[in-house]
Amino acid sequence: MASAAQNQEGVPEILRKQLAVAVRSIQWSYAIFWSLSAAQQGVLEWGDGYYNGDIKTRKTMQAMELTPDKIGLQRSKQLRELYESLLKGESELAYKRPSAALSPEDLTDAEWYYLVCMSFVFSSGQGLPGRALANSETIWLCNAQCADSKVFSRSLLAKSASIQTVICFPHLDGVIELGVTELVPEDPSLLQHIKASLLDFSKPFCSEKSSSPPYDEDDDSDPLCAKVSHEILDTVALESLYSPGEENKFDGEGVYELHGNINEELHLDSADECSKGCEHNHQTEESFMVDGINGAASQVQSWHFVDDDLSNGIPDSMHSSDHKSESLVNQAEGFPSSKDENMSHIQLKELQEGNHTKLSLLDLGIDDGAHYRKTLSAIFGSSNRLTENPCFLSVEHKSSFVSWKKGGMVKRHWPGIQQNLLKKILFSVPLMHGGCTHRSQKEICRKYCPVTMESDNFCEEHISSDKRTENEKFMVLRSMVPYISEVDKASILSDTIKYLKKLEARVEELESCMYSVDSEPRPKRNYTEMVEQTSDNYDNKKLDNHKKPWINKRKACDIDETDPELNKFVPKDGLADVKVSIQEMDVLIEMRCPSREYILLDIMDAINNLHLDAYSVVSSNLDGVLTLALKSTFRGAAIAPAGIIEQALWKIAGKC
Amino acid sequence: MENSSQESHLRSENSVTHESPYPLYAMAVCGQRIAVGSFIEDYTNRVDVVSFEPESLSIKTHPSLSFDHPYPPTKLMFDPNSSSRKSSSNRHLLASSGDFLRLWDVGDSSIEPVAVLNNSKSSEFCAPLTSFDWNEIEPKRIGTCSIDTTCTIWDIEKGVVETQLIAHDKEVYDICWGEARVFASVSADGSVRIFDLRDKEHSTIIYESPQPDTPLLRLAWNKQDLRYMATILMDSNKVVILDIRSPTLPVAELERHRACVNAIAWAPQSRRHICSVGDDSQAFIWELPLPPVAGPNGIDPMSMYSAGSEINQLQWSPAQPDWLAIAFSNKMQLLKV
Repeated sequence: MASAAQNQEGVPEILRKQLAVAVRSIQWSYAIFWSLSAAQQGVLEWGDGYYNGDIKTRKTMQAMELTPDKIGLQRSKQLRELYESLLKGESELAYKRPSAALSPEDLTDAEWYYLVCMSFVFSSGQGLPGRALANSETIWLCNAQCADSKVFSRSLLAKSASIQTVICFPHLDGVIELGVTELVPEDPSLLQHIKASLLDFSKPFCSEKSSSPPYDEDDDSDPLCAKVSHEILDTVALESLYSPGEENKFDGEGVYELHGNINEELHLDSADECSKGCEHNHQTEESFMVDGINGAASQVQSWHFVDDDLSNGIPDSMHSSDHKSESLVNQAEGFPSSKDENMSHIQLKELQEGNHTKLSLLDLGIDDGAHYRKTLSAIFGSSNRLTENPCFLSVEHKSSFVSWKKGGMVKRHWPGIQQNLLKKILFSVPLMHGGCTHRSQKEICRKYCPVTMESDNFCEEHISSDKRTENEKFMVLRSMVPYISEVDKASILSDTIKYLKKLEARVEELESCMYSVDSEPRPKRNYTEMVEQTSDNYDNKKLDNHKKPWINKRKACDIDETDPELNKFVPKDGLADVKVSIQEMDVLIEMRCPSREYILLDIMDAINNLHLDAYSVVSSNLDGVLTLALKSTFRGAAIAPAGIIEQALWKIAGKC
Repeated sequence: MENSSQESHLRSENSVTHESPYPLYAMAVCGQRIAVGSFIEDYTNRVDVVSFEPESLSIKTHPSLSFDHPYPPTKLMFDPNSSSRKSSSNRHLLASSGDFLRLWDVGDSSIEPVAVLNNSKSSEFCAPLTSFDWNEIEPKRIGTCSIDTTCTIWDIEKGVVETQLIAHDKEVYDICWGEARVFASVSADGSVRIFDLRDKEHSTIIYESPQPDTPLLRLAWNKQDLRYMATILMDSNKVVILDIRSPTLPVAELERHRACVNAIAWAPQSRRHICSVGDDSQAFIWELPLPPVAGPNGIDPMSMYSAGSEINQLQWSPAQPDWLAIAFSNKMQLLKV
């Protein structure tokens, strides 16, 4: 097992784990501890390291998959072994190396970089580590691959490995170096975080606890929940739950969340209450394949924890009160007790309910735990307003409030709809603003990106342009088809279908009657009846000649008109048309709709309500069709968007 | 009327009432100025700015300090810096949310519109805002949340969008800043999420409603002690107190209202006090033990007040820590704490 204690050059195994923890928590590529050489004075040489970057070929001796951290430790060890074997000389390569050991061709560039680093030695003030130690300062080097080789002697190597950021800081009697293949701008909080994580483990560890038999993944009845206690050290329990290489599916028994809570405290920064549910889920994602996650039904929860040994360090840090207060993880104040409370009535159901959405969090990967911690440290670091003023609420005689008495209130009959106003403000008021595409956008978001919603790209482009044009087209469609009041796509489409059917029917009717226009006298029909006919009854269309109200009306008017073209008049698209165009404060409204009593009054009324002052109106009533061109200007600051104006006018045009 | 409310009404010398011609919802307090927004389910709505005279315990209305708003404003808020400014310069910036985020300059005798912050690409279509929050530490930053599931962060000095995040799966109902670049939001999907602008790709769910998809309607972050947040659920009489360091598990659930809770506000000058108002026309002030540990029966409020009808809105401003503003039906009342 990789965790078997192995001393290398006098640096305790612990250090490697510290490095592992530190670098894993921030997801950087490697961590190296340069220690002062025993042989030469003031010279830094390779002490220990942990490689956390990309791996090309994995070679393990065990059949079972290990946790990533164990893998990482093993990998680092293998790299070291490779280095040593390379040192010894090529002649021994062929037969000395066991089959499961690494060979040079198995390594990625970053791994090579790490390997080659092992050969480096820095005298005082030389290179990045040398300077860090000599000046006792932290060096944060961005764009390491472009750095001057005087500043960073391995810059060319870094270039080949794409290592872009390297930081060095003195630690204990040497220098810790961390590097990553991304460009990370200088971040003091990150530094603090790393240092904190290193310090936490600088305690002697107890011996490793033996693991109980691996936990059966289907066994939900975990008797260990009762054992959950302050001590945390139910590592035994945890180990028994842990079955490496398998995805543990649980039906959301909250107890696992519970253990997850404990567990993820064991992991990385101990006593880190902040990253409870979320983080452990992220770890699970990282440790096991994502393919275990299926839908909302099952919940993939599995754990990995750094090392059994580490867990022993945790209770100390949990209880200790002598931690640096600036380290965010040491919010020991009151926390253990509240944790107790939390555990005792842990609302398992709540967690299990909540867990199904954690699946989405799982996509975020392990990063999130570290990110959340960074966020928390940012919050608490900058907060300096913890003014304690508990006495301000002395109940003076002048206060409006009375002391609370249980049962002081007579029971009243509460209104049926609770939170009425609040709900209206949140649910219906936004919808009052017409012309909003929220629902379609929402549907789109849900339909097209159910998983990716939580994933990496929370960015504006998510509402991508083609979806927006689609929405806009829907809106255009909506504005073309009258009598639509809904905003959602489904009803727009169904209303459009209905409307199209009506139109088709009418067109057919008109075409057929065009040829038999002159033959019979038509009875004159009422406007309203006619309009109603067209709007309601077109589904049961009648092609009878004596039911051509539209044309009839036309014909009746024709007697007075001399314009021959009216004979062939076929109503254009739709019964009504409303066009609103806005230019700064001026609004031009063009309308065409079947005329009726008081319609002009209604239009002016509507415009007035929208805070528009009409200054020019040209209208004509032709053939029962009102054509209107209205110019107006906004009265005040409240500018209504064109959509709202159109909507209001459509309502009027459509009314009969 | 019950005894307790009569009692409260008898203490009228300690509460100041402003009666408005229309029902009120949105409210903002800035020093002695209070902006109240109407709730009329129609296009024409108004926002009035009244001033409070603590000496005479009266409220003065200014007919000129008023403006129209399309549909009810969902939230009003004064520039957080203006409370610290000397009152000699009486110009305050007021923000209102509805279809867009609008900024108004409230002077002594008039209100001038300053800006309409509209992020929609198309001129006609917008995503109406349910709420917003003005960052106290970085006052040029306002975060808005909308029913299109996004949160938009505005730089109001430049009048541009700093960033827009898709925050939730469903409509976002409230947003609250914790730090210059950290905010939290609640949504119809029932989760409280914390976002960090430094790391826009990740967010953390720190609480989810026990019944999945129970919308969380309001959120309040304790500005005196950033560890704690409070939120309320739809159709629930509970105020859920969360500790951001321990996600998913609420630290306390305050369940003493006899009807649903409508609004919550942390005390501006104390770490441990929070006020909640509800449909039972009660306003409770709770004192949370630190660290919040629930007794077997839960936590009782410290003090209470009964109003005439369901209390819809609550504002506890740092500029007036002694006075709590509530709104019920068409009245706005200032209560001495």
